[in-house]
Amino acid sequence: MISCTEFIPAYSELFKYLEKKGGKAAVAKYWDRISQEGLDNLHAEVSQNGLRGCWNYWSHALNEEAADFTQTLDEEKGEFAITMHHCPSKGRLLEETHLEPYEDYCLHCPALYKGLIESYGLKYEMDLSGTDKAACAVIISDPKIKG
Amino acid sequence: MEKMVRKASDNKYLHKDFHVGLNFGIGYIAKLHGDTAVVDYLREYAGVFHKPLKDAVMEYGLAALEDYFRKLYETEEAAADITFERSEDELRIFIKKCPAITHIRKSGNEIAPMFIETTRTVNEEIVQGTPYAFELITFDIDTGKSEQRFYRREAAK
Repeated sequence: MISCTEFIPAYSELFKYLEKKGGKAAVAKYWDRISQEGLDNLHAEVSQNGLRGCWNYWSHALNEEAADFTQTLDEEKGEFAITMHHCPSKGRLLEETHLEPYEDYCLHCPALYKGLIESYGLKYEMDLSGTDKAACAVIISDPKIKG
Repeated sequence: MEKMVRKASDNKYLHKDFHVGLNFGIGYIAKLHGDTAVVDYLREYAGVFHKPLKDAVMEYGLAALEDYFRKLYETEEAAADITFERSEDELRIFIKKCPAITHIRKSGNEIAPMFIETTRTVNEEIVQGTPYAFELITFDIDTGKSEQRFYRREAAK
């Protein structure tokens, strides 16, 4: 058994394996498949609850992942935001001295979530400029409210 | 406005849906590249990730493996589902049910046929290049109940 606490290194190595088999396009294709078929809970939350569904989904996931984060939901403003102070996944990959993280590891997040979120009429924006320190930020907004 | 602020130390790191993610990945590779690709991938993963454990096996022998698996099941909150019998040349592991398979099924997903390799191939790779070998004696894909053994290679003769 690969423990769920050992999944992130397995995930990173899977991206490397797929890239070796078929280049970056093969990795992108895999992420696209996950986005379409592997995130049923997020699809259900966003389709039924919109921005509140994003809050529900990431509240569960980020707490179980023991992330160091701040998230806010402003329904009047039409905005849900995550500030990831220290991502447990990227952080783990950076801490393990015997592992070399997949070079585009952090790109899996927008690849998985942007298309999915925007298919429900919301807007997904991500700042990946701090990923060398396992930090990032996401803003999901509702254009119908935010304008 | 609602606000949630969490430190890493506020929660235990145990996101069981990652088991579902791994099962999805195993099924994806098998479908796209074939069963041997799953084995190749898991060998590459285990070869890299488990290097420190392999080093520990070289230094401490089967005790290092027992210690690793005991802690793994404690982390998964399934300590009662694993027992060990260890002699100088053999470590037998008895799994009542696998926490990964239990969670994947509970989530309403089918187990990828090649999911068994996350035990067999990974454990084989952990002891590759050491004086020990691995054998998956029994494995029930419905529950993950299994009997496994690591043994000293020359002791098998």
